[in-house]
Amino acid sequence: MFKVTIGNERVNCDGVSRRHAMRLGASGLIGGLTLPRLLEMHVKAATKVTPKAKSCIFLFLEGGPPHQDMWDPKPEAPAEIRGPFQAIQTNVPGTIVTDQLPLCSKIADKYTIVRSHSHRINGHTTGYHYVMTGRRPSFADGDNPVPNNEFYPSIGSVVSRELGPRGALPPYINLPHPMAAGGPGFYGAEHAPFVIEADPTQPDFEVKDLQPGGRKTKNRSSVRRKLLEGIDQFEKATNSGQAVAMSTYYEKALSLMTSPAAKRAFDIHAEPDSVRDAYGRTQVGQCALLARRLIEAGCRFVGVDAPGWDVHFNCFPSLRTDLIPYTDRAFSALVGDLEQRGMLDETLVIMMGEMGRTPRINARAGRDHWSMAQTIIFAGGGVKPGQVIGATDKHATAPTTTPVGVNDLLRTVSTLLGVDPDRVYYGPLGRPVPIVDGGKIIDGLI
Amino acid sequence: MPKLPNCVLLLLALSSLAAEASAEGLRAEPAQVTLDSPESSQQLLITDLDPRARQRDVTRDAVYRIAPKQIATIDERGLVRPLADGQAELSVEFQGQQLTVAISVVGFSKPRPVSFRHEIIPMLTKARCNSGGCHGKAEGQNGFRLSIFGYDPASDYHALVYESRGRRIAPACPDHSLLVLKATARSPHGGGQKVEPGGYGDRRLTRWIQEGAPFESADESQNKVERIIVHPADRVLFAGQRQQLQVTAIDASGRRYDVTAEAEYESNASSIAEADSHGLITVSDIPGEAAILVRFLGQVAVCRVTSPQPNVEFDRPPERGFIDRLVWDKLQRLGIEPSQEADDASFLRRVCLDTIGTLPTSDEVVGFLKDKRSDKRARLVDELLQRDEYVDYWTMKWLDILRADQLKISPQGTVAMQRWLRRAFTENRPFDQMARELLTVQGNTSAEGPGSFYKILSKPDQAAQAVSQLLLGVRIECAQCHHHPSERWSQADYVGLAGFFTGIKLKKLPNGEQAIVSRGGKDLPHPRHGEVVAARALGADPADFSRATDRRQILADWVTSNENPYFSRAIANRLWSHYFGRGLIEPIDDTRRTNPASNEPLMRALSKHMRDEKFDLREFTRTLLNSRVYQSSSRTTASNNRDRQNFSHAAYKTLPAEVLLDAISQSVGVPEEFNGWPSGYRAIQVWDNRMPSYFFRIFGRPVRASVCECERSDQPSIAQALHLLNSPEIAGKIEHRHGRARRLVNSDLSASEIIDQLFLSTVSRYPRKGERALMMEAFSNHGNDRRAAAEDVLWALMNSREFVFNH
Repeated sequence: MFKVTIGNERVNCDGVSRRHAMRLGASGLIGGLTLPRLLEMHVKAATKVTPKAKSCIFLFLEGGPPHQDMWDPKPEAPAEIRGPFQAIQTNVPGTIVTDQLPLCSKIADKYTIVRSHSHRINGHTTGYHYVMTGRRPSFADGDNPVPNNEFYPSIGSVVSRELGPRGALPPYINLPHPMAAGGPGFYGAEHAPFVIEADPTQPDFEVKDLQPGGRKTKNRSSVRRKLLEGIDQFEKATNSGQAVAMSTYYEKALSLMTSPAAKRAFDIHAEPDSVRDAYGRTQVGQCALLARRLIEAGCRFVGVDAPGWDVHFNCFPSLRTDLIPYTDRAFSALVGDLEQRGMLDETLVIMMGEMGRTPRINARAGRDHWSMAQTIIFAGGGVKPGQVIGATDKHATAPTTTPVGVNDLLRTVSTLLGVDPDRVYYGPLGRPVPIVDGGKIIDGLI
Repeated sequence: MPKLPNCVLLLLALSSLAAEASAEGLRAEPAQVTLDSPESSQQLLITDLDPRARQRDVTRDAVYRIAPKQIATIDERGLVRPLADGQAELSVEFQGQQLTVAISVVGFSKPRPVSFRHEIIPMLTKARCNSGGCHGKAEGQNGFRLSIFGYDPASDYHALVYESRGRRIAPACPDHSLLVLKATARSPHGGGQKVEPGGYGDRRLTRWIQEGAPFESADESQNKVERIIVHPADRVLFAGQRQQLQVTAIDASGRRYDVTAEAEYESNASSIAEADSHGLITVSDIPGEAAILVRFLGQVAVCRVTSPQPNVEFDRPPERGFIDRLVWDKLQRLGIEPSQEADDASFLRRVCLDTIGTLPTSDEVVGFLKDKRSDKRARLVDELLQRDEYVDYWTMKWLDILRADQLKISPQGTVAMQRWLRRAFTENRPFDQMARELLTVQGNTSAEGPGSFYKILSKPDQAAQAVSQLLLGVRIECAQCHHHPSERWSQADYVGLAGFFTGIKLKKLPNGEQAIVSRGGKDLPHPRHGEVVAARALGADPADFSRATDRRQILADWVTSNENPYFSRAIANRLWSHYFGRGLIEPIDDTRRTNPASNEPLMRALSKHMRDEKFDLREFTRTLLNSRVYQSSSRTTASNNRDRQNFSHAAYKTLPAEVLLDAISQSVGVPEEFNGWPSGYRAIQVWDNRMPSYFFRIFGRPVRASVCECERSDQPSIAQALHLLNSPEIAGKIEHRHGRARRLVNSDLSASEIIDQLFLSTVSRYPRKGERALMMEAFSNHGNDRRAAAEDVLWALMNSREFVFNH
């Protein structure tokens, strides 16, 4: 049958999706659709990416993970640059990572390593802000209280605004605490992340404020619900729709409280022990697992903040014993789990930090801030896996091929998710603020 | 450009005059059409003059015929386009009525050259090639950069013709120029198809390149477009009606030509009236007024649309003053019935929350309801304006607006500013004096005063922007980088204003504190061409600093003078917006000709009242609060429930985070403890905007990063609702052993009396009959557990819409 409705398909600027154009061409049913016109549409359609990803898990290794100790080893470099870790082969011939990533090395065909990301903002809060918003920070680096994006929305808020909820869960969730740069900026509280401020590794983990607090008595919930609905009914009867329109968020909250799907999603204890162990009983592991549950239940963007990567002093013991292995386990389990559930194609997984670390090991056996070279890991969501994109020089100081900037990253992420990166919203002063300011899709990633 | 023969100019001038005599009951504008280039066009307006039709626009309903056909064509929107040189006649028919319009096409076969400045730039602007989201942004798009909205034609010309090794135009093969290929999307273009292939725009671009892509001719450089006229300029339209606009550009030589197809249109109230890219206005079924902004080559014009509701009759409520009179006038004109007067309890709650940011106590409610004096509302207003909380609340509000972010201006600076504001509001310092102090402050920023304001605005242009927005309600910052897209402000106006702040220095004091010193100063260079621009206030002559030690004093004189057109308006509108939930000018700090007040006579009267009262904010507030308009109910009627801009009923307002927290604490009878602050401090008294608080974080306390009141979010979030519904913090307050619920339960009040008390202390009224019955169910449901019942009632009330909004 010839399908006429194109409402659910992603549509190009001229109102015709590529697939639709092909269908029209094949059917030849519409008059006036000449071959040149069809070819023209084809050309235009080819410049667009058909988005596959419906949601995104963003694992943020806060503090700046050392790229050369993980994804971008330099076995030929002198010891003070190379560090103590050995390079090993992955299951993709020719792709090497360090020996600290044994689990990820076995599934290198399922993700793509972009080694050539760099920017020039060498602070934590500032770099974090830049990565999450694509806008250069206007504040000095330092211990800024959250949120530090007073004006520009984070990529999570963008996705929340553009894609909206799928089901009862909020579209944008942060765990295990608010991401410092994850705020909504001028988009407003409506697009702020719903923050699960609790550690899913704890036995008593639960989502704050989701269940009634205070003293439990018989029938309390049903009595309360009845009273509240009753009062609001009276108010509705005597007043205009104004308040009702202003309080749709209330219904959303109630549906979140009462939705069995949401309740199930948050209940990490329902996960079999084998799965929880596979992700690792660590904060990053359990957050990744919870992120998968949230995505499964309809969340669009889960931001996981995994701190502790600011390894200035004596870094190798902690990299070896907890930071890298926990992450290795969490990431490989997440990708494997998503694939097993058939969710990998529509879930974009990104892992990165705000910067890389200095090539040369410092006098205190640590590595310092180095934003000039960083590695980003992409999996699923329409990304072509099993690749290494870009390279750094022999000491992992700076990109030598396919340089990637923050706006390239954000443009790529938006595009993969079907968010139009060029859509413009107007800030409080009436200035146009495009979702992504410039940038281009990372070469070869899609 | 070959000079047009004088007769053509004359024809053009004549053609825009209306012809009414030609047909009984039908009017065509213009009566004669002259088209003088292959891509020119003329928008026709056909109006039905039948008195019953009330000047209905029938442009799209008329039947058109052109003879001979090969001279010109007309589309269903009434836009005439040329096809060949010659004369033709257009016959117009509508419901049996007829008229004819002569069409003359000249310069088709031998056109005058395309002007880059006058014909290409508007195309790029209308197609949004040079918009801020595309090539117009500072770094351009994919290597191609245009000036935003085409404010700098010379640099755009350079970008198109010379940059990138001239690859954007191909004179040898014009229709294969990159410019044309991209614009028509014949070559893949990230922005999509912006110009219809083969259409008029395409042909104009191609012809321009064919002609050698000149910038402009010598005589054209003197004949810049000086203004545009939109016709009609105001119009009454009923729901569903449409009106085509006609836009004419007039250049320095007096030449007039139609630019309807090339101008841009934007409505300031799109829920009421919208205009499409062809200049066709469509009115929705929401009554009210809208302004359609028309923009062409940096010139702006406005068409005001009034959309009344037919067949609404009502008696004017009594008038207590000029506010009531002007609002009722407006509502009558629009056919919108005002709501009834609010009952005493609603008025009390509203006026307390608005004026002192504090919920009335149950005793205050009972006392006010019992009071039988006829002037009790006015007495209440007088009392509230003298309350300490008035000072607390307005100090907090101004700390937000003055950007008292303690992280940026230090705690000492914040306290210094808070003390200055507290004293000013306590002694009711006239606002012009406050403004003068803010403008001219010097000395230690830790000493009582607003000096810290300049700590964050240390650059002259930042100070100019903030002061303009804050005190004048003018957003000048667009003009930092380009001509203001919808006002007359240019970059010269911008640096002219910034020139007042060039003498300011932050001086470090021996004890580590900082002082503002201001003396000397210099005029600033124009950001584009570098010529020095003499300091001058907006729309004023260059300032004379001969007798001033501090340049800002001259600015302060200008700002606070009685002749200043912005100052009294801005503060009057700010207060109005606070109390009525919406500014007469909205957004409140965006005064421009293209964003008119929703009730201009009222705006003028309020502005005058502010000056007459010598900027006495209490007195001005008293006038607002005593008006019948302020005291209207928020309950709507059939004819006013969709009105949002004419104040026919009271608005629902979200409570600021601090006010809500105080209201909750007061309702449950348990004060909030703020870490590091003495017991009993209320949220509206806390100057520390960075005090960690989950409640404030999720309810959106302003970060004090701009002088815009828009920082307060009025979009509630799920986390807010969950917090009120479920959080242990709120539950702890409800169940607190010294809390209101427990005290009532432990007293010998009956269930019904407890319910009364809980209603009075939350929603500030007695329960209605049905509500009481409903609440009694809690008591019967919980059997002997009175405590559980009272807590449930309190919980339900605190989560009700009536509690969380001010209405």
